[in-house]
Amino acid sequence: MKIDLANPAWQQTLPPARSLATAAPVAACAFNRDGTIVGFALGDGQVRLLPADIKAATPDAADPLHKGVVLSLVGDPAGDGFVSGGDDGRVLRIAADGTATELLALKGKWFEHLVAHRTGAVAASAGKSMFLFRDGEVREFGPHPSTVAGLDFSKDGSRVACAHYGGITVWSLSKDVALPPRRFAWQGSHVALRWSTDGKFIATGTQENDIHVWRVAQATDMRMQGYPAKVKSLSWTADARWLYTSSQPVFTAWPFSGKGPEGKPPLQFGDEGAGLITVVAAHPSAEFVAGGYDSGELQLGDIRTRRSVVLKMADGAAITCLAWSPDGFKLAVGNDRGDLLTIDLRR
Amino acid sequence: MAQSQVPVTVLTGYLGAGKTTLLNRILSEQHGKKYAVIVNEFGELGVDNDLVVNADEEVFEMNNGCICCTVRGDLIRIIEGLMKRKDKFDGILVETTGLADPGPVAQTFFTDEDVKARTRLDAIVTVIDAKHFFGQLEQGSEAEQQVAFADVILLNKTDLVSPDELAKVEDRIRGINRYARIFHTQNSQIALDAILDKGAFDLGRILEFEPDFLHSGHDHHHEDEVRSLSITADRPVDPDRFQKWMGALLQIKGGDIFRSKGILAIDGAPRRYVYQGVHMMMDSDWGTPWKDGDKRSSKLVFIGRNLDGDNLQRGFDDCLK
Repeated sequence: MKIDLANPAWQQTLPPARSLATAAPVAACAFNRDGTIVGFALGDGQVRLLPADIKAATPDAADPLHKGVVLSLVGDPAGDGFVSGGDDGRVLRIAADGTATELLALKGKWFEHLVAHRTGAVAASAGKSMFLFRDGEVREFGPHPSTVAGLDFSKDGSRVACAHYGGITVWSLSKDVALPPRRFAWQGSHVALRWSTDGKFIATGTQENDIHVWRVAQATDMRMQGYPAKVKSLSWTADARWLYTSSQPVFTAWPFSGKGPEGKPPLQFGDEGAGLITVVAAHPSAEFVAGGYDSGELQLGDIRTRRSVVLKMADGAAITCLAWSPDGFKLAVGNDRGDLLTIDLRR
Repeated sequence: MAQSQVPVTVLTGYLGAGKTTLLNRILSEQHGKKYAVIVNEFGELGVDNDLVVNADEEVFEMNNGCICCTVRGDLIRIIEGLMKRKDKFDGILVETTGLADPGPVAQTFFTDEDVKARTRLDAIVTVIDAKHFFGQLEQGSEAEQQVAFADVILLNKTDLVSPDELAKVEDRIRGINRYARIFHTQNSQIALDAILDKGAFDLGRILEFEPDFLHSGHDHHHEDEVRSLSITADRPVDPDRFQKWMGALLQIKGGDIFRSKGILAIDGAPRRYVYQGVHMMMDSDWGTPWKDGDKRSSKLVFIGRNLDGDNLQRGFDDCLK
């Protein structure tokens, strides 16, 4: 991928993009498995599907699929479309043509978090339970000590970690060998969770504005403090050498190569002054990172050169979600005002 | 994008006091407003409303060394989720369970920055069953706490007690909290403007909640009984000394002090200094300017357990110029 942030063209002009205003806050965005469609989960029940090709015609909006807010969305790892979760208590499988089939419906529950694994499994959380969708089956795991506030698959997809009050719980998903869940305790409420891309670490953000990280094999842990707000967005780089965290005015990455981050400051770079980063997304293969701000600004950073460029100017609407296309050339962006943006970085 | 903060009304009261009836009333009345309702039990409400959310009443201790600092984790999550809706609403009503301590709900609005950015705590409304109140006081500290935290009290089911009994119940309520507005109701029948949009936690409106000094409550208190009291001063307040005293007081007695508020005449300041707190948490700001001819006096109000009025007055006197 040829992106040189030192190139004056990157500094001076915003990249080409497709922008669509919907007026419904965007809760999540994702690309489908082959990267041809980008989906946006909206606050009016719609899952808006757009061609990833920004030059293609914009299709009309379809009828809302959920009754209420679409809270979560992932690319379907077992199909050509998406899987969505709503505050109407439903999980839907949405085909590329927009037709939906219901995977699960639980009255009164909110499906707030969804994660997908390339092996075809999807995990969702609602209330104190985690639900696994795999091979046409649904299995429930739980209850956890409190509502699950974040979850993620292990690298190989054999386990799922769930964040809750008092720590995290790691479930083994095997149907052949029933293993008891492993509990990693740390007091307080854990509000976000990401398993490292090499499978060795699990990171959470806490209600007290800290980061907590466990070494899975050793069950040892570490805490990083000093954030002015809750860290609700965490993103590991593809090589698992860095953990990016939101809630700072610049890109903030903790080093996980070598001996780990203990006793070291995080690496910080990028343009300050646009507010706080609300969402951060490491590039799926290269050493880039995208950060969305509460001011609406969007920055792209390169950790090798510590350079950054502005991809979208601040417009006051906080960025709520970011997603990279699988090939890493496109970036989907949503905000709390309902703007849907797809940026093409090939210029 | 500058969003206005959505007002949140907290509805407490013992099981069977009439909370659900009140909620149904609020939701079914033709007021042209839209409310999101956070309830404990689905299905109790007769009204079909897609803005009714089921809560789990998850009380979390903050991991910050402050033992009485508890928040409602589920509320933080639900409010965040509600704000993702395209269709906005005029207010949020939070119903607590019959045995709930209102403290964690109130503290959520002091502690969580995301909640504070999107919403504001408007008032705590407590519904009381006039017939069963004394019995409920015997059963534990909850009924007492619910009265102590209240800004507005609906003394409900007044048709089920004699005027004599009613006076006794009201007297007991006043003994706990003499600063709340009390309404006598039957079947939770109340004008909605009596309970909604009260601004009871609005620092700019603290003056509207002037304590009722005319009422003479009985003065015999057991040590651990919840009561309310106010202390006053006519000399200007030294801000540094006050800060130190109040900080230490809340650090030591914050668990016992449910609500506190005050208006201070700070030495040399042209404006009133106003504050209000729940347990150890406090918000403060400069209020309206003193006008010529205003009597520049200070007044502090406490509602809590084990309150020693003389001791508090002495401590406050030490903060004066």
